[in-house]
Amino acid sequence: MEHLEVIFFWSAFLLYGGAFVLFFYHLLAKRASLNRLAVVAVVVAWLAQGVSLVLRGIDAGHVPVVGAYESLSLAAWFIVLVYIALELRTRVRAVGLYVMPIVWVFLGVAWMHYHAPGRLLPVLKSDLVAVHVVVIFTALAAFVLAAGAAALYVVEEWQLKRRGFDAVLGRLPSLDTLDKLTYHAILFGLPFLSMGIVAGVIRAEKWAVQDWYFDPLVILAVVAWFIYAAFLWGRVVAGWRGRRSAYVALLGLVCLLFIRFVGVPFLSTFHKYGS
Amino acid sequence: MAGRGVLGDGSAGADQWDDVDSGGMQVVCIGISHKTASVELRECLAFDNEQAVRLASDLRAHPDVAEALVLSTCNRVELYLYAANVERVRSQVVARLASIAGAGAGELETVSYVLAGASAVGHLFRVAASLDSLIVGEAQILAQIKTAHTQAVEGGCTSVVFNRLFRHALEVGKRVRTETAIGERPVSISSAAVELARQVLGKLEKHTVLILGAGEMSELTATHLVAQGIKKIFVSNRTFSAGQELAERFGGSAVNWDRLDEHLALADIVISSTAAPHYVVTRAQVERAMQVRKRRPLFFIDIAVPRDCDPEINHIDNAFLYDIDDLQAIVDRNKGEREKEAARAEAIVAEEVEVFEKWLAGLEVVPTIHQLRAEVEAIRATEFDRIARRLGDLDEATLEKVKALSVGLVNKILHEPTVRLKEIAAHEDAYVYVEALRRLFGLRDEGRGDGAAPAEPLAATAPGEIARNDEASGSDEASGSDEAAGNDEASGSDEAAEGEEDASAVAAPIGAHGARQSQRRGDAA
Repeated sequence: MEHLEVIFFWSAFLLYGGAFVLFFYHLLAKRASLNRLAVVAVVVAWLAQGVSLVLRGIDAGHVPVVGAYESLSLAAWFIVLVYIALELRTRVRAVGLYVMPIVWVFLGVAWMHYHAPGRLLPVLKSDLVAVHVVVIFTALAAFVLAAGAAALYVVEEWQLKRRGFDAVLGRLPSLDTLDKLTYHAILFGLPFLSMGIVAGVIRAEKWAVQDWYFDPLVILAVVAWFIYAAFLWGRVVAGWRGRRSAYVALLGLVCLLFIRFVGVPFLSTFHKYGS
Repeated sequence: MAGRGVLGDGSAGADQWDDVDSGGMQVVCIGISHKTASVELRECLAFDNEQAVRLASDLRAHPDVAEALVLSTCNRVELYLYAANVERVRSQVVARLASIAGAGAGELETVSYVLAGASAVGHLFRVAASLDSLIVGEAQILAQIKTAHTQAVEGGCTSVVFNRLFRHALEVGKRVRTETAIGERPVSISSAAVELARQVLGKLEKHTVLILGAGEMSELTATHLVAQGIKKIFVSNRTFSAGQELAERFGGSAVNWDRLDEHLALADIVISSTAAPHYVVTRAQVERAMQVRKRRPLFFIDIAVPRDCDPEINHIDNAFLYDIDDLQAIVDRNKGEREKEAARAEAIVAEEVEVFEKWLAGLEVVPTIHQLRAEVEAIRATEFDRIARRLGDLDEATLEKVKALSVGLVNKILHEPTVRLKEIAAHEDAYVYVEALRRLFGLRDEGRGDGAAPAEPLAATAPGEIARNDEASGSDEASGSDEAAGNDEASGSDEAAEGEEDASAVAAPIGAHGARQSQRRGDAA
């Protein structure tokens, strides 16, 4: 079973990589068929990764959210899920250019932390923990996509300002589309982040975790929450548009990645994910 | 097919048994285009849809011509024919064109081109891919070909080959557009401006455009924007009346020059082409406007020389400014890009020509007969083996007899169609029968690969087709039946019942006319 799970994991990993190459090639030299193929590859990879996660869950006997390997893989799976939903609705394929590398990094780091499926620590045996993690990952996926659109926005805006308009740029979505995409993704993600934080707090209170509010991770999560809240406030009230809001969305992602790759392994006292 | 690709020996085929195939039929293209003829001559020969169909049916009346289609656009007039005796047809068609043009045939002779076989097919595909257009990569030609084909079908001028050929041409055009970037980037100043506006603002329908100065260039750009769905247009001009005139033409409204600031806050696209010697729009003005418009993006197209908009505007967040030189640079770059893509499109065309030619080759009689016999023989052999296994305990001699029975049966059944096919092989309409036969027996052809247009029911065959088939069988068939002698279309010659039968079989799915045809035959009998 573990063997099978790893095979599926790796197929997904390679297919995501292939999809990225196809997206990139399409951008450089228009090949519509390759672009479609890329989307198909993403969907197949996503299904394979889903199978891998399910096998892992069955094997371990719990929702696969424990440890870096499981949690990162699940996070990547959520990111791709949101991307596929977005792709089906808006056909902004260019975002795949950005999402695929992120997914790759997530899966790559996940693999470095691979360990055999194990039993849950008693402290994590709780529906609330599962809700906490799933909800936060949904928010993370939305924020990753928002930042992806924002990154494309910054590059495209810069090109348009310096009049470097060419075929490659012409294949990207319009600035307006990217701007709205960023906004909508954050609008979607923030409630989930709020729910995730609340669920975590309830959990900590219930188990009387000591000084949970001093945990660097909790503080960083609140900072991230404020960044995204500021984004929405600026957008709706102060009329932030375009580049400025794109920078805020990117800042938010930097904060989230810092939490995940610095905060969790090195700073946090109790977000050890079972290790 | 003999002589494909060159102006082959037109006399071959009809009277030579060894070179029967489809009677030496070839796809022929006779035409003039912007590359060869002056606009004056093209004007004289420009046909509207109705005239084009009338000319095509006239051409079809020619005994060497089986199918005809006239493609007439502002850049080209081309006659596509599926015909035998290319040289003879050509001189007559050119003479016909010359009489329409009113110019001497000699004049037309020097500017018209004639292509036959694969080069004619290739030419049509290149035209459809817009590789032969004045502006390479323009999209209109595809719609024009589609219309021409639809009209020709309705006018009864096309049949098996052209229905296939033109559908295929449309496929090629579409394929080139989706698989290459040939039509992707704009190659005129005004369309480049529109493209940029769209890159910034997305869909343009809900946006507002402000035109400064009522010059020709602003009008041209505005036309493009309106074509993209822009509905709200303001025109501001120093002389109010000129502005009003332009505004009326686009269903917009004229605004006073001194209310420029407040309209900068309303507009999303500003096109400026005034004759002012100084900047008309300054950075401070735009900064103020941006405050009012909550920093929604604002796109400036400055096509005036000297420039109207302060270049500093480009440094404001969410404001984008392109002047005439910027746009020209984009256009030049795009033109280069298109040429690169054209090479890829040529490769697609070559590939598709090959596919079509393979299909066309399948319409030849002799290979079809061979294939039919081979396939039926294969069925016979399989069935015989099966039954022989099942009757395992039969002795050798009886088995031989069973085998002889099966062979005899197949030969008897195939004898008649084989003889008939050979009889009509020399005829210009033979390919219609071949196609029907291939379809009825499900004979594969290599040309009908995945990329090719799907086989369509013969329904597309126009009503006129049957009349032609009748004439065809009327002149050549020698089965000596007078069954249909009363049929006016048989014009008194020996009418072969079988020939008629075949024609009806081909026409059966056509509907009304086919039914009428058999009805009439019934009456005559």
